[in-house]
Amino acid sequence: MKTVIVYKWARNAEDAVVRNDGTVDWRNAKMTAGEDDFAALEAAKAIAEGDELIGLTIGDGDASWALARGVLQTISVTDASNLTDNASTAAIIVAAMRQIGGVDAVVIGDSEEYAGVPVALAGQLGWPAIAHVSSASAVDGRVQVVRKQGSSEQTISIAAPAVIAVSAASPEKKTPGMKEQLAARKRPVTKLTLAAIGAASDDKVSSKGTRLPETAAARIFDGDPAAAAEQLVAALRGEGVL
Amino acid sequence: MSDAWIIVTEEKQVAALVAAAKGLGGKITAIAVGPRALADAAAIAGPDEVKWVDAKGIPVEAYAGSVARLVAAALPKVVVASGTVEGRVLAGATAARLGAAVIPGGLKLSALGDRTVVERADLDGRVVETIEAAGPVVTFYAGDDVASEGFAAVPVEPVGTDAAADILVEKTEPAAGAGAGINQAAVVVSVGRGLKKKDDLAIVHDLANALGAEIGCSMPVADDLGWVEKERYVGRSGQHIAPQLYIAIGIRGAPQHLEGIRDAKVVVGINNDPDAPIFKFADYGIVGDLYDVIPALQAALGK
Ligand SMILES: Cc1cc2nc3c(=O)[nH]c(=O)nc-3n(C[C@H](O)[C@H](O)[C@H](O)COP(=O)(O)OP(=O)(O)OC[C@H]3O[C@@H](n4cnc5c(N)ncnc54)[C@H](O)[C@@H]3O)c2cc1C
Ligand SMILES: Nc1ncnc2c1ncn2[C@@H]1O[C@H](COP(=O)(O)O)[C@@H](O)[C@H]1O
Repeated sequence: MKTVIVYKWARNAEDAVVRNDGTVDWRNAKMTAGEDDFAALEAAKAIAEGDELIGLTIGDGDASWALARGVLQTISVTDASNLTDNASTAAIIVAAMRQIGGVDAVVIGDSEEYAGVPVALAGQLGWPAIAHVSSASAVDGRVQVVRKQGSSEQTISIAAPAVIAVSAASPEKKTPGMKEQLAARKRPVTKLTLAAIGAASDDKVSSKGTRLPETAAARIFDGDPAAAAEQLVAALRGEGVL
Repeated sequence: MSDAWIIVTEEKQVAALVAAAKGLGGKITAIAVGPRALADAAAIAGPDEVKWVDAKGIPVEAYAGSVARLVAAALPKVVVASGTVEGRVLAGATAARLGAAVIPGGLKLSALGDRTVVERADLDGRVVETIEAAGPVVTFYAGDDVASEGFAAVPVEPVGTDAAADILVEKTEPAAGAGAGINQAAVVVSVGRGLKKKDDLAIVHDLANALGAEIGCSMPVADDLGWVEKERYVGRSGQHIAPQLYIAIGIRGAPQHLEGIRDAKVVVGINNDPDAPIFKFADYGIVGDLYDVIPALQAALGK
């Protein structure tokens, strides 16, 4: 199946420092691929089954991320900015997909942070979608996916074209080596602009800033371990959980 | 004041979805997609009316187009969906039909003149961001559950759908580890990479025995180190558990780990790093070396 793998390259949210006033300091945040994206790529390869597999990234996307992982061609929409509204991000991806044409399946990381992107994408394409997928393949012209739902694991079959949002189960185990990185440099990257694909990069919402959540701070016991342990046990007995 | 729709795909958070939508001050219509019992649960959670799409046992996502059409016809300013995997798909389709913005992580909603204000969790819940929208907004609820206040049931109106999308469940099996004792345990003692070697698990087992607890762990302890069975790791891709008491020993508190214990009642962190994120999430904590704290806890429990 002709498959598109959508991936992102963005500041790592885990590196962001939250200041005491609730504002966020991004200065030391490293750029990284979405943590689910490598698993999405595995699923996309399985669905493509040797047919065309095209990478697509927007904004600061490092096109070589997919090329070094065996994708032969990728498209980058270079001037898309970081948007709060997930539907606007999806609209840019949709516009880029129109340039590709004839796509049977689009596979994308089901990131926690941008949980609305895959589903808004499916909505705008008018395609069915399955989220939180752990693995996928193509079976008899349909897409077959596996996903965990509560305490059960479902195998679901969905007619193409479809959007498949994949969640990784663990960090990527084997990252590309020097040989793959070099091969990636020889592969084609098509750079597109928003104007060229007829998309806009405007947020439909505006952020008024961030603050700390109102959660009660933990009661911390420190100092002498014996005293701390006794205080903890007393507190837990008080809660009725011991 | 603005009207809202809520998209309901599971009973668990219905009352919280309605409560969040009440912040807007307008009429609330719930659309429940699933079995009749789901619609009945929505009917007593406090909305003004309930529409019911009978999912007839096929995946709820197959009705995304129908739900989008039904909701968008009413032109609501705000749509709140449960953050479940199915709820999100229905909400995404609805947003496209409405031309709405999509904001994940919704906690609280209010109307400010003709604008909508969404407070949402960001950075794995480390901050709350305030967002304003002039046009329609779709958000997935990510706040806490609230207890239903026992509202009188409003009528449930079954609604017709377009042809469902071609999505079939081929097989349903118990997920790996679904039967592990850790899922039902009242107390779980869980260990992370703060433990230096496999043999040291003995002291963790001793503590668990003293507490009548099951053993859990962080992913690397099961996956990379193989010290504990894989069925026992807790988190995003591991077990999601709801014990009365969860004691995280030498576990940093990575967001992926914390996802597995959102429903735990009381969480204790034991870590030698006072800045470990587990202390931001826990109810109680001991800052100290686990090799000192575990024996001290044993002694304190014996008193
Ligand atoms: C897609 C994906 C999915 C994932 N899913 C999961 C998941 O489901 N579950 C999960 O757990 N992880 C998951 N992870 C991994 C997660 O990001 C963390 O890497 C992992 O939880 C860290 O485990 P840890 O806290 O045991 O180890 P570390 O991060 O190494 O932390 C060890 C902690 O022990 C403390 N410590 C060290 N020595 C002592 C001592 N002597 N006494 C007391 N404290 C001490 C340290 O201060 C530190 O806080 C996932 C990651 C990805 C990318
Ligand atoms: N699933 C996705 N695929 C591709 N790009 C995305 C996805 N989700 C978000 N983005 C974009 O990735 C960037 C994230 O930037 P940052 O805020 O630095 O994390 C923004 O340009 C987003 O619009």
